[in-house]
Amino acid sequence: MRTVLIASLRAHTRRYVAAFVAVTIAVGFVVVTNALASATKAGLSQGVDDAYPASDLVVGERYGISEHDLRATLETARREGDTTSVIANGWLPVRSDDRTLGSEVTVGTVSTDDTMRRQDVTTGRAPRSDREALVDRGAAKADGIAIGDVLTLGSGPQGQEVTVVGLADSVSYLGADVYVPWPTLSRVPGAQADAVSYRVGDGAVGRRTAQLEDVVDDAQVRTRPAYVDDRVTMVNQGVDVISYLLLLFAAIAAFVAVLVIANTFTILFAQRTRDFALLRCVGATGRQVLRSVRVESFALAVVASVIGVVGGAGAGYGLTALVRAFAGPERIGAVSLSPSWLVAAFVGGVVVTWIAAWWPTRAVTRVSPLAALRPAESPGVRSRGGRVRAGLGLAVVAASTAVLVGAVTANSLPVLLVGGMASFVGVLLLGPVIVPALLRAVGRLLRRTGPSLRIASANAVRNPRRSAATTASLLVGVTLTTAVLTGMASARGAIESQMDAQHPVDVALTGETSIGAATLRQVADTRGVTAARAVNGVVATAKGLGSVPVLGPDETARRSTLDPAALHAVPGRVLVPPDVLGDLDGEVPDRLTLDVDGRRTTLPTRVVGSEWGRALVVNPATLRGLGGDPAPLAVWVQAADGTDPDTLGGDLGAVARDADLDTTNALKDRAYVDLQLDVLVYAVLGLLGIAVAIALVGIANTVGLSVLERGREHALLRALGLTRRQLRRVLAAEGLLLAVVAAVIGTVLGTAYGWLGVLTIVRTAVPDAPLVMPWTELGAVVVVAALAGLAACVLPARRAARIAPAQGLTLD
Amino acid sequence: MTTTTHETSTTAASARGLTKTYGDGPAAVHALDGIDLDLAPGRFTAVMGPSGSGKSTLMHCLAGLDRPTDGSIVVDGTDLTRLGDDDLTRFRRDRLGFVFQAFNLLPMLTARQNIVLPIELAGRRLDATAATRLDQVVDVLGLADRLDHRPGELSGGQQQRVAIARALVGDASIVFADEPTGNLDSTASAEVLSYLRRSVRELGRTVVMVTHELDAAAYADDVVVLADGRIRSHLHAPSTDELVDALKVGA
Ligand SMILES: Nc1ncnc2c1ncn2[C@@H]1O[C@H](COP(=O)(O)OP(=O)(O)OP(=O)(O)O)[C@@H](O)[C@H]1O
Ligand SMILES: [Mg+2]
Repeated sequence: MRTVLIASLRAHTRRYVAAFVAVTIAVGFVVVTNALASATKAGLSQGVDDAYPASDLVVGERYGISEHDLRATLETARREGDTTSVIANGWLPVRSDDRTLGSEVTVGTVSTDDTMRRQDVTTGRAPRSDREALVDRGAAKADGIAIGDVLTLGSGPQGQEVTVVGLADSVSYLGADVYVPWPTLSRVPGAQADAVSYRVGDGAVGRRTAQLEDVVDDAQVRTRPAYVDDRVTMVNQGVDVISYLLLLFAAIAAFVAVLVIANTFTILFAQRTRDFALLRCVGATGRQVLRSVRVESFALAVVASVIGVVGGAGAGYGLTALVRAFAGPERIGAVSLSPSWLVAAFVGGVVVTWIAAWWPTRAVTRVSPLAALRPAESPGVRSRGGRVRAGLGLAVVAASTAVLVGAVTANSLPVLLVGGMASFVGVLLLGPVIVPALLRAVGRLLRRTGPSLRIASANAVRNPRRSAATTASLLVGVTLTTAVLTGMASARGAIESQMDAQHPVDVALTGETSIGAATLRQVADTRGVTAARAVNGVVATAKGLGSVPVLGPDETARRSTLDPAALHAVPGRVLVPPDVLGDLDGEVPDRLTLDVDGRRTTLPTRVVGSEWGRALVVNPATLRGLGGDPAPLAVWVQAADGTDPDTLGGDLGAVARDADLDTTNALKDRAYVDLQLDVLVYAVLGLLGIAVAIALVGIANTVGLSVLERGREHALLRALGLTRRQLRRVLAAEGLLLAVVAAVIGTVLGTAYGWLGVLTIVRTAVPDAPLVMPWTELGAVVVVAALAGLAACVLPARRAARIAPAQGLTLD
Repeated sequence: MTTTTHETSTTAASARGLTKTYGDGPAAVHALDGIDLDLAPGRFTAVMGPSGSGKSTLMHCLAGLDRPTDGSIVVDGTDLTRLGDDDLTRFRRDRLGFVFQAFNLLPMLTARQNIVLPIELAGRRLDATAATRLDQVVDVLGLADRLDHRPGELSGGQQQRVAIARALVGDASIVFADEPTGNLDSTASAEVLSYLRRSVRELGRTVVMVTHELDAAAYADDVVVLADGRIRSHLHAPSTDELVDALKVGA
C-alpha cells in the first residue's frame, strides 16, 4: 500500500490545494491573532513602564486613588521635600475661544518636573506653570489647535483657562488629547486621579514607604517595578479578552474550513471510487484502503497546519512592521509568539482537517470491488439517506423556530444563540433539497442569456449534495454578514433616535444679548446650514449659576429640531440641561428662583439629558410671565446630512465670536458615535471576510474538481462547437449560480437572524427600535458574492478551456 | 501506396504532408508521418489499421479537434490550419458532425436536448427545415419515443443513434465517427452502421469512420488502411478478400 499511497499523494496534490488553503488560512489567522496581541501587549507594557519615569514609589489602588489618600500623599511629599507627579485623567468639555472642541475630550496630567514628565515634547516646550498645557500632536492636528491658543477646560465658574505651550507624541497608556498640570486639572469637576508617581528626595525609600503607608487608608504603596508589573498584568488582560473574541472568528473560519475540506474529500473520493474499487479487485482489504486515505488526509493536515503556523507568524511580523511604520513605534511593540498558541493552532488545524476528512474517508470502505466495473451514480436526494437527512432537517428547523420564538418572548440572548445555530444546522441539512431547487429557479431566470447558462445550471444541479455542501460554506459567511448588517442597521436606528433626543439641536449659538437680524442671516447663509431659528429668551440670575439665558422656544423653533418633544417644557417648569447641571456642581435644587430684572419667579426644575448649550428652557407662556423683555438670545442650527462638523463649527464659530455667542456643536459627538459604529461594523465584516475567503476557495475548488471530472464532456462540447470563451462562460456561470444561491439563502436567513437579534437584545433597551432593512448593503452583499463566485472560477475555467478537444476526448 | 483518382476540387477533405508528432527528441512518437489523402464527397470511408497506427490521430486532425505538427488540411474548401481556435470551433459546429466510441452525450441533457445542442450552441432557434429534418432523422433512427430520456436511461445502441441524429440534424457536410460500434453487440452495430450508410445514400452526407472491425468496414464504400502513421492503401469499394489482404500485409 506504501507505493499506492505515495503515488496517489503525488498524483492528487493539485486537487488538495483548496483543502490545503482552507486549513492554512484558518490556522494562520489564529497565529496572526497571537502575534498582534503579543505585539500590542509589548507596546502597552512599554507604555506602562514609561508612565512613571524617575520615580521610586507609586501610590494607588487597582482602579485609582481616593481623594483622602491623594491629599495625604501630597502632604507627606511637601513635608519631606519629595517630588511627585499625579497621574490623572478625565473626560471634560474643552473649548478654544468660542469653539467647542467636544464635551468629552480626554484630559490628562503632565508633570512640571522635567525628569518626571512622561510625554515627549516634539514642538514648543513643556508646561512650566499650572496655567500651561501640552497637546497631543494628533489631536492638535485634528482639532486645529496651535501653540499659543487658550483652552478652557470644564464649563461655568469652575472652568480653567490654560495656554498651549507645546505639542507631544502620543502615549499608548493613559494617553489624552490635552495634558495640564494636576493642580489645574484637580480644580475641574470630573477629573479622576489614578496614582501618584513618587520620588523620594533623600533616598530613604523604605522609611518613606512606611510613612506613606501610615497616612493612606486604602491605597497601596509599592515600588515602581512592583506597581508596573501589576498594571501590565491588568492591561494585558484587556488584550487577552480581545484575542479570545478574535478566536470566535477563527472558530467560524474553522467551521467553514471543515465544510470545504469535507466537500473536497467527498468529491475527490467520488472521483477515485474506481481506483479504490480496482485496489479492492486486486486484493486490498477495506481496512487497507481506509488506512491509506486516512494517512493521506493526515499528511495533508500536518503539512497545511505547519504552513499555516509559519505563514501566520510571517504575516504577524509583517503586519506589526506595517503598523509600526504607519502608526508610529509607540503604538505596538515586538512580537513574541506564545508556544502554547502555536501548538494549539497547529493541533487545531490537524484536528479540524481530521474531523472534516472522517466521514468522506469512511465512505471509502463501503466501495465494493464491483464499483470498478460499473459507472458510479451520484447520490440523489431521493436516496434513503437523502430522505432521512431532509426529514431530520425539517424537524430541526421546526424545533429551532419554536426555540427562537421563545428566545424573543423571553428576551434571552443565550437561547437566541442556541436556536440560531440549531436552525442554521437544520437549513444545512435541508441544503440538498433547497439548493438545487433554487439553482434551477435562478438558472431558469438567466437561461435566456444563452446556452452557456443552460448548460451551467444543468451542471450545477447534477450532484445536489455537492452543490449544497459548496454553497453551505459561503452561506455561513453571508448569513453572518447580513445578520450583522441588518442588526446594526436597526440598532443604529435605535441609537440615532436616542442621539436625536440627546442632541436635538445640531449647533446652538447662545448668548446674553439680543441677536441681530444680520447675525441670524449670516448663520442661515453659512454653508451646510439647512435651518437656523432664533429662539427668544431673557437673561436671568439664579443662585449657583450666576447669569444664565432662559429660552422659551416656540412651536416653529422646536419643530425645526431633531426631537421637538425633548425641547418641550410643561408650562411652569424649567428644563435643566447637562451644561447648566455642570455649573450647579451636579446638585440640582427641586426649585430654581430666577431673577429677571429684579422680578423673582420660583419654578420647579426638571433635569434632562438633552443638550442645547448653557441655557435653561421654559414654555413660551412661562417665559412671558418671567418679566424682562424677551429677545432672540439663541440661534438653533440644523445642518445638512454629511456636513463636516469641524468646518461648520469653525464657520459658525467665527460668526459667534463677532456676535459674542457661545457655540455648542453636537455634530462632533454624533460623528464620533457614527464612527464608532462604522468601525465596529467594518471590523466584524473584515473578520468575517476570512470565512468568506475560505468559502470562495471552496467554490473555486468544487468547480475546479468538477472540471477535472468533466474533462470528457467539455471536450465533447468543444468538438460540437462550443468556443473557448463559451466554455469559460459555462464554468464561470456555474460558480456564479452557486454563489448567488448561497447569497440569496444567506441574506434571507441573515436578515431574519438580524431582526430576531434586534427583537431580543435591542428592544429590551429601546422598546420602539425599528426593524430596518438595509437594502443597499444587502444588495451589495449579493452582488459582491456573485462577483466573487465568478472570480473564483476564473482559474479553473481558463485551465479547462486551454485543453484541446482531442486531448480531452482521450481523458479518462 | 495507392493514390486516389479523384480531383482536388471535388474532395470533401484532403490532407497534404500531414504530420503529428508527440514529444520531441529520441522519445518523439510520430503518430502521423507525412500523410497525403483525399476523401471523396458523398461517400462512406472507413479508416482501418492496427492499434496505435494513428487512426484516431488522423481523424482528430481532419476534424479540427487537434492541431497537426505539420502539413495542411482542407475540409469542405476551408484550410483548417489557417483558422484560429474560435473560427475552427465555429467551423466544427456548423460543418461537421461527430460520433465517438463512448461518452457521446452530455449526461445531464435529454436525448432531444443533446441532438439540438449544436444548433443551440450556435445561438440559433430550431427553424422549420431543421425541425422537419429532426423529425425525419429521429424517425429513421427509431428514437421518437426516447427523446425525453437522459443518456443514463438509454441502451448503448440507442445512445449511439442519438449521437448520429445529432450529427445529421445540422448542415454537417462531413460526419466523423471514431469506432462508433466499438461498444456495441453485433445487432446494435449493424443497426448503427446501416444508419450511417443511409445518411450517405439518402442524405448525401460524407462519412469518415475509424474502425478495426472488418464487418464494420464492409458497410463503407472506400477503405483507407494506416500503418505506423502512414497510408498503406486507399481502396475503393473493395471486396472482403481485397480488404483482408490489405490488412494482412502489415500484420
Ligand atoms: N497524447 C499523446 N501523447 C503521446 N503519444 C500519443 C498521444 N496520443 C497518441 N499517441 C501515440 O500516437 C500513436 C497513434 O495513436 P492513435 O490513438 O492515433 O492510435 P489508433 O490507431 O487510434 O489506435 P487504437 O486502434 O488503439 O485506438 C500511438 O503510438 C500513441 O501511443
Ligand atoms: Mg483510436
